Amino acid sequence: MKIGLEIHVALPTKTKLFCSDSTEEAHEPNVNVCPTCMGFPGSRPTLNKEAVRVAKSVSIALNCDITNRISFIRKVYFYPDLPKSFQITQLSECIGKGGFIELEKKKIHLRRVQIEEDPARIIRSEGHTLIDFNRSGIPLIEVVTEPDITTEEELRETIFTLRTILYYQGIDINQEIKADLNISLGTERVEVKNVTGIKNLISAAEYEISRQNAILLNNGKIEVETRSFDEKSNTTKSSRKKESDEEYGFIFEPDLGFYSTEDLETTPVEMPTRAAFELARSHNSSYKTILELIAFDKDALGILYKYEKKYDFKSLIATLEIAKRFNETKDANVFEELLKLVINGIAINQETVNKIKKGERIEIRKFSKDEIDAAILEMLKAEKDIVKRYSKNKNVINFIVGTVSRKYGIQPRDVIKRVEILIDTLQKVEV
Amino acid sequence: MRSYISEFESKEKPKDYYTKIIEELKRKNAELNAFNIINDEINSGFPFSVKDNICVNGVESTASSKILKTYTPPFDATVVEKFKHNGFSFLGKTNMDEFGFGSFGINCEKPAKNPINSDYVAGGSSSGAAIATALLKYHIAVAESTGGSISAPAAFCGVVGFTPTYGALSRYGLIDYANSLDKIGFMARSAADIRTVLKQCTGRDGKDTTSSSQPLTDNPKAKLTVITELMDKTDEKIKSAFLRFLDKIKSLDYKIEYVSLPEIEHSIPAYYIVSTAEASTNLARYTGFKYGFKVEDFSKKYNDFFTEARNQFGMEAKRRIVLGTFVRSASVKDKYYVKALKIRRLLINRIKRLLKDSLLISPTMPIQTPKIDEVKKLSPTQSYAMDAFTIPPNFCGFPHASFTYDYLAGMPIGAQIVTDQFNDYAALSFIDSWENIFDYKFKYNIGAL
Repeated sequence: MKIGLEIHVALPTKTKLFCSDSTEEAHEPNVNVCPTCMGFPGSRPTLNKEAVRVAKSVSIALNCDITNRISFIRKVYFYPDLPKSFQITQLSECIGKGGFIELEKKKIHLRRVQIEEDPARIIRSEGHTLIDFNRSGIPLIEVVTEPDITTEEELRETIFTLRTILYYQGIDINQEIKADLNISLGTERVEVKNVTGIKNLISAAEYEISRQNAILLNNGKIEVETRSFDEKSNTTKSSRKKESDEEYGFIFEPDLGFYSTEDLETTPVEMPTRAAFELARSHNSSYKTILELIAFDKDALGILYKYEKKYDFKSLIATLEIAKRFNETKDANVFEELLKLVINGIAINQETVNKIKKGERIEIRKFSKDEIDAAILEMLKAEKDIVKRYSKNKNVINFIVGTVSRKYGIQPRDVIKRVEILIDTLQKVEV
Repeated sequence: MRSYISEFESKEKPKDYYTKIIEELKRKNAELNAFNIINDEINSGFPFSVKDNICVNGVESTASSKILKTYTPPFDATVVEKFKHNGFSFLGKTNMDEFGFGSFGINCEKPAKNPINSDYVAGGSSSGAAIATALLKYHIAVAESTGGSISAPAAFCGVVGFTPTYGALSRYGLIDYANSLDKIGFMARSAADIRTVLKQCTGRDGKDTTSSSQPLTDNPKAKLTVITELMDKTDEKIKSAFLRFLDKIKSLDYKIEYVSLPEIEHSIPAYYIVSTAEASTNLARYTGFKYGFKVEDFSKKYNDFFTEARNQFGMEAKRRIVLGTFVRSASVKDKYYVKALKIRRLLINRIKRLLKDSLLISPTMPIQTPKIDEVKKLSPTQSYAMDAFTIPPNFCGFPHASFTYDYLAGMPIGAQIVTDQFNDYAALSFIDSWENIFDYKFKYNIGAL
């Protein structure tokens, strides 16, 4: 199986790609518009340098070769959302060429990263269709991968990894992702166009894999075609059979000419994947765990860097997991207090977090043997049958220890020592 | 040197001056189809007209196409803005071949007619601009050339037509034909008037990326180069008149040199490939629902809807869309479009070498002014061949100007002077020196003071 992706990402610029209209979400349709993004005769595009700068930075993050002299092309097709009936995009002189997205165990190679303008938004309703040109001309980059993805798991990992890299670039695509999916189980390529959102992208891939699989199992022939994804039924539907590639009649965009990217300054941006690799290697830890913790949380990465040498890394990761549960990665000092508690075997609850934030001291209280026993016995009485369950399955002890230590703030290791003895005594009494 | 602009400014105007002009102009216009719109409200200032493919804020701008009927741009072209800023007054929108597609001014709803004899063509595509200049004594025409649309009508109507270096003037507000070739330029009754407005309009414009900040120069050359391949294509009567002209020019201390440039043969096909390829993408936006012609039935399928709208195009526009769409299609693009771009690069280099120490001179058109009935019979390739002399400088972005050098049976005949890129004023200086020994004849002098 081979899967290739074409992923469209909106760039976080204040103004549109070829005019000075705002890119901000408007409350009304067709207010962030001008003759240029409406395609009025006589209007002309002028390039937004900031969009090129961001695209260059992203291309560097995706390990691309940067094109020093970029140009644009016209991609001609007729559709009501395309005001000029051509989209200004890039092809051979695009901003980034080659490159790769680095997964844990393989690289997904890229063909290119190109800058292009978003078409308008089509709003379909019963009996009519409306067009909102606020979106027309929003700067996008399209990341085109080679068909290097071979499993659904890799597809998920590719999207996750791309998302985190973009997040560190200041681009939060979350569910806004728009993609075309090329997928072939046999020799013929099927394209699923315009899938919006990560969930839909995965669903489209899943459906297409099973559909093509079924055809192949029945010795059928997979047809080269373009399909579309239907969100309601979670299926793909044929939209166009094709004998040859689509004809867009690309020509050079003469209104923009050539643009030098050499002088565009990009500040180096942290690569979450690289950071996770390095941390995992130097602390003999899990890449995946680390990446998941830092993927959309730059503070979390900052915390890891700050304390990796000072504290035990396993406790650091464990504390980070807890801190993320309570949404507390902003303040490194609060985090360090939490970390000390965890190392001391103190269970953390919301109350503990609140106290730390108020600057209150958390007493690492020593419990006497009697106090611990009392706590355990109370728990065993409250949970009926727990002793019976324990005699059948010794793992139930973890539940008991967890519950007691959380409730009373007693260190788990102190609880463990007493639980078995107490249960034994209880059983003897019953006998 | 004669400046109609300063002459106009120095003279007293009667109270009803503009009303009279408008009256007379409207009468002539009914016969010659020079204007699509005449501005009734003009009441002061030196009048300028604007070719109908250049946007004037709040004024219908159709490029003489049915598909743009009612299109009223909410902005001024940069050049128009500069004219207004410099105290010129908007007189009206001039007729043209639809979207600039034509050499004779007849590819539109109301074919333009030659002001000297209305059986003859006015030339195109800036037909109305040339007629208006031939009619009005005090007037400047803002026109546009892609492959010869200023030179051709200027020659046939007997006025001075100037096309600047590509990029010397902003194209913002121009309804595109072929973006890498389109140039806004001027027509007037003297080179001096063109110099005045060129100075005011040239320069970098933030709204047009291809506009240049490079200053225009006035470097004279003592040598005039005649390309022999072009002379071979010239009609006999024109040729002998042109040779007589060259003799006269020698008296102005110019040296004449004949040079062979075989590559120039490729300029017509290469030009039509690049220009139609770009035109077919520019015309793609006319789909009948945002501006201009509107399809009434919104329940139609997209393809049917677009087809109905695009049926508004005239025959020549349709032909160029088909041709242009073909030459950029994937299977033949390298053979046509890409190759044509290479030819352009090569031609620029060859001609640039000649222009280092000389100016190029040739007749503007290979034939005498034809009758309207005659050109209707021409095949498209015969028509395209009429641009043989105007295409090379246009295709390569060199500044050039057409001016009258003689009259045959009462009809003006024009010559075209070409200079190196950004040496625009040298073309005007050459014409200045010609005007010192030659008087243009004008049949009409509407608005004379």
